[in-house]
Amino acid sequence: MIWETVRLALLSIRRNALRSVLTLLGIVIGVAAVIAMITIGSGTTEKVKADISKLGSNLLVVRAGGAPQPGGPRIQAKELRAREVQALVDGIPEARAIAAASQKQVRIVSGTDSLSVLVTGSDPGYFIARDWGVALGREFTDQEVRGNANVCLVGETVRSQFFGAGDPLGLAVRVGRMSCTIIGILESKGFSGFGQDQDATVLMPLTTFQRRIAGNRDVDTIYISGTDGTPMAEMQEKVEDILRETRRITADKDDDFSVRDMTQIAETMASATTVMTGMLGALAGVSLLVGGIGIMNIMLVSVTERTREIGIRLAIGAQERDILVQFMVEATVLSLIGGLIGIALGMSLAGLASATMSIPFAPSLPVIALAVGFSGAIGMVFGFFPALRAARLDPIDALRHE
Amino acid sequence: MAHPLVRFDQVWKTYGSGEARVDALAGVDLTIGRGEFVAIMGPSGSGKSTAMNIIGCLDTPTRGRYFFMNVDAGGLDRSRRALLRNLYIGFVFQGYNLLARTTAVENVELPLIYRGVPGRQRRRLALEALDKVGLTGREGHTPAELSGGQQQRVAIARAIVTSPTLLVADEPTGNLDTARSQEIMELLTGLNREQGLTIAMVTHEADIAAHAGRIVTFVDGRIASDEAKMEAA
Repeated sequence: MIWETVRLALLSIRRNALRSVLTLLGIVIGVAAVIAMITIGSGTTEKVKADISKLGSNLLVVRAGGAPQPGGPRIQAKELRAREVQALVDGIPEARAIAAASQKQVRIVSGTDSLSVLVTGSDPGYFIARDWGVALGREFTDQEVRGNANVCLVGETVRSQFFGAGDPLGLAVRVGRMSCTIIGILESKGFSGFGQDQDATVLMPLTTFQRRIAGNRDVDTIYISGTDGTPMAEMQEKVEDILRETRRITADKDDDFSVRDMTQIAETMASATTVMTGMLGALAGVSLLVGGIGIMNIMLVSVTERTREIGIRLAIGAQERDILVQFMVEATVLSLIGGLIGIALGMSLAGLASATMSIPFAPSLPVIALAVGFSGAIGMVFGFFPALRAARLDPIDALRHE
Repeated sequence: MAHPLVRFDQVWKTYGSGEARVDALAGVDLTIGRGEFVAIMGPSGSGKSTAMNIIGCLDTPTRGRYFFMNVDAGGLDRSRRALLRNLYIGFVFQGYNLLARTTAVENVELPLIYRGVPGRQRRRLALEALDKVGLTGREGHTPAELSGGQQQRVAIARAIVTSPTLLVADEPTGNLDTARSQEIMELLTGLNREQGLTIAMVTHEADIAAHAGRIVTFVDGRIASDEAKMEAA
């Protein structure tokens, strides 16, 4: 009986092919939007998590300037210097690596090509702390850092833009007003979750950077990396104590620096994107609702059009229930078809987006199941009222209907 | 026969109220026995269609009682009357009322679907019914591909496929020419004589009514005459 009804529903959907397609469109767009939003959103969440873990795990990041108080001005503070770095190296022997780093956006030139990149000056600990390996060539040494050597490593984007398939090792590149010899290629990190090309970069010894690029002795950031299983909260406290002491901050003053645990930040960021995904999904859900109203509208038209048919069915012994089921099945089948097309469309959109934005394609089975269930439910809910109207028709009036 | 198939007991059917009040039926007593072929005649507005709807359990009296198979059908709710129609009553309408874009055999199967008859048996019964009305070979045609007379035959097949006790026919020849009308009436008369099918038929044409064994004429909601034909008895 139910198969009979489904077959009948498909038949009547096919009879009004154009109208059915237009009605479906609402559900298709709604479901596709929900699926695409949630799939792209969870891909982004994964990407953000991966990006931040690429900064290095078990990583503390120290910067000058206190954490801004809500509503208050950012605390002015003196820059970090080599003194603080040395104090940390002495005070935290259990750290896996401590790296001081400074950064600046600089235009680099090779031959006739030029490119604006992020230039970082640091020390060999940077490779460990940032968990960033060398694809080709070598890292710079402590000796080169001490000697302000004009050497650098370049990112994958710089290599491909300037040298194509050629081997750039030993060649020189102009960074700002200085020239440095390329000793290595950094491993590719791809785009960050914020759309930044992390491979458009140059890495050189901190001393060289301070002298030739920045023109000062400031340190922007100190990375402190712990080993696996290091209690990061404990280490963070220790870092704060050492810095307060070194910078002579009295007990009644706030910190004029910040120490951040990257793992915590990763979690915060991930939960923020999850919330965003949820909100976008909910927004897309509204269009599903609109699609549902479209179905109700068309089912009401269909009931009116088929009043005579309903009359015939009632006269020859169909129960109210039979008519109700028939129209509800029709609405449900209609919106389920829309749901399935919507899923296919949404997945393709998400696949396309993940390919172009280089985020992971993260299809979620529960979300797909939910979309199918939801579109079916929409058919039932919005089909119920028109179906009830059909079932309650008086057979005599219905038969007289032209 | 312990009881008649159809019995009206002082049936009134009233529409509207106050000034606009119309009595479509005004205290009608009528009985139809099993195996009878009754033609119901009368001018439009005489109440014959209302009587027909009540006989077919599509409608209920405002006052009085209507018994079908000794059941107080006038007092039954919608779903029970739907069940009575499905089990015991077949309908033939003036406008054929076949489902468009649905083949003849599928149209005939329709009442069986609502009875829950399984597919294969349904098809067999439907083909048998089409055979009885002389439409073998047209099973796969849709109403648009059939002539008026053929469509009415499909409608009759649909009415008799459930082996009903009563066939209710509302102007079955109203849309047909004389020759086609004659054929349909012969078909109905045959079903009445050979299968003992009780038929109640509304018509306003005297020569069509002449095929019936009994003619009941309504005027102003009352039965004006009720004559049994001698040679039919």
